[in-house]
Amino acid sequence: MLQLHRSTLIASGLALLACVLLYSTLGVAKAFHMWKWTDIVSEGGTAVMAGSWVLFTLSSRPGGLVTRLLAGGLALIMIGSFADCMDEFFAISKTARWDHWLEAMVPVGMLVVTIGMYYWRHEQFRLNEHLQKRERLFRDHRAFDRITQLANADYLRRQIRHEQARRPGQQCALVLLDIDGFHVINREFGQSEGDRVLQAVGHMLLLNLRNDDLLCRYAGDRFALLLPDTSVAEADALASHLSAMVGQMRHHAKSGRVHITLRHASSSADAAPEVLLTELSRVISQPAQPAADPRIAAATA
Amino acid sequence: MIGYRQSGDSFIPARHQPALVLDYARSRELDEQDELVLRGTGLSGWQMPAADSTLTPAQYLQLLANVTRALDSPDTSFMLGQQMLPGHYGALSHALLQAQNLRQALQILSAGQARLCPLLTPRLREEGGMAVLYWSDSFGAPSQLPALVEMHMTAVTAMCRWLGGERLPWRYCMNRGAPAHIEQHQVHLGSDLRFNCHLDAMLINPAWLDRPWPRGNGMAASVAMHSVADEAGAEALEPSLLTALYDYLLAHIRLGPTLEGIAADFGISPATLKRHLARHGSHFQAELDQVRAHVAIQLFQMRGYDNEAVAQYLGFHDATNFRRSFKRWTGLTPSLLRDGLLSIPQLI
Repeated sequence: MLQLHRSTLIASGLALLACVLLYSTLGVAKAFHMWKWTDIVSEGGTAVMAGSWVLFTLSSRPGGLVTRLLAGGLALIMIGSFADCMDEFFAISKTARWDHWLEAMVPVGMLVVTIGMYYWRHEQFRLNEHLQKRERLFRDHRAFDRITQLANADYLRRQIRHEQARRPGQQCALVLLDIDGFHVINREFGQSEGDRVLQAVGHMLLLNLRNDDLLCRYAGDRFALLLPDTSVAEADALASHLSAMVGQMRHHAKSGRVHITLRHASSSADAAPEVLLTELSRVISQPAQPAADPRIAAATA
Repeated sequence: MIGYRQSGDSFIPARHQPALVLDYARSRELDEQDELVLRGTGLSGWQMPAADSTLTPAQYLQLLANVTRALDSPDTSFMLGQQMLPGHYGALSHALLQAQNLRQALQILSAGQARLCPLLTPRLREEGGMAVLYWSDSFGAPSQLPALVEMHMTAVTAMCRWLGGERLPWRYCMNRGAPAHIEQHQVHLGSDLRFNCHLDAMLINPAWLDRPWPRGNGMAASVAMHSVADEAGAEALEPSLLTALYDYLLAHIRLGPTLEGIAADFGISPATLKRHLARHGSHFQAELDQVRAHVAIQLFQMRGYDNEAVAQYLGFHDATNFRRSFKRWTGLTPSLLRDGLLSIPQLI
């Protein structure tokens, strides 16, 4: 991420350097015994801290208005407090005004950061909307799978428990979806193609869900759906619809089209998550009828 | 004299399994991090290793440990296993690809163990209406054993599923408690999972051993097996010290094997054998106890022996003595373990 913001970083570095030059040419160096260590530590510390916030912000965010405001404001705070700190090393004549302007950058920077925070809040609302089907109510960045950006099985188990505790007695359905012959795709087209298939299927499923539903990557090629306020029959119908949508999808590998089909198993989410998921896993991994598995048939032909 | 390898001997071709691990790490963008992942592995960079470069088992284990730690994801061992077999390991991989059925594939795997799966040793036993493929540590890496077992079981499962054209009804027994990431076991292995088993084993109904595989060619597989020794030299298939010792103990278990006798058969002094075992984090009594525990479990499970019969088989004076020793080996009394085994439903 930092490469993206190289010019911003160079500009801040140059501004700090200019500060040093300005003070050392226009000011008179103070004798060592006149240095006020508490001021140096507090003002210098603020500058260092604000500098590290600039780095954190830039290294974790893509470019754009919010990033510019946050990083710019923090950079102003950094330069302002750095100038304040240089004051302790160099005496500036009382008639000069420029050093006051430099120090005034701290409150200006705070204003800019505040505006940035305001827009950040807006941005966050938009992102929440976008992530709703992936995370529902909680955010835990460790629970997300790197390939599909979906939550993992651990998160799913917590959400099932949460749903049961929040609305006991309400119907709620759990569905597992498996890609037919996924291992053959991996063997024939390579693991990176397999990863792309997982991403494509994940996107397709997300597009066809309601806002309250939760989609997780259970493990490997197995996806899980938690559907609040849904009966098993409705869940089955939805899963069939999803399978049909994925079946219609055209996924292209380098060496031609990959046909992807899904199979599914659903149940009511009314028991301990471990028990439910074990039972559904057992059902879904029953050997499929050979005819229903064109990939395997194709592979052995 | 019995030849063997140690964890410091450099013999694993870097282009075999280590290259697969590198490839997987690259696909997960670990190469963009830094060279820390390669520390202690004997590899100098992320590019394909030189054709003649080799790693020691200790270095290969270090590579696996580094990659697993850097990725910090419960699916790493399983994903590595998916790619591992039949692999691209020369004539042995070719033989596996041509295997005419499960039995021949597992025979090839056992015979080519030093190249196909150098870190864990697979052993096939068939008796009493079940076939058992169980795994033992080849180079003494107890802390990595859970990940290694997941990786190797996934490798065999995935290979058989691909070559056999269908998912085989394996039952998986794990020598540890149920893990937090049980979903990975369910998806990559299967749903018939048992934990706290005192043995890392895959069980299957022996009827599956001889069911023909769609693209198998038994003749071609045998021919490929014959060219293995020409390809890499007979010493390429030499077992590890722990594997050779296990095999020896298993063959002599009823004869009261001693450290001195074994050292003589291995052509080294007892002190050297002790030192070599210590280098693998083990000692003679531990290895002997492990083999006796495995034999006892097999006798319970496959032949339905009772305590008296097993005690007599293993040369104990009486059942009480045996019960006490068995408790020390496994932490369970024989009757508890036997009840556990008998309560398990029949294999399909």
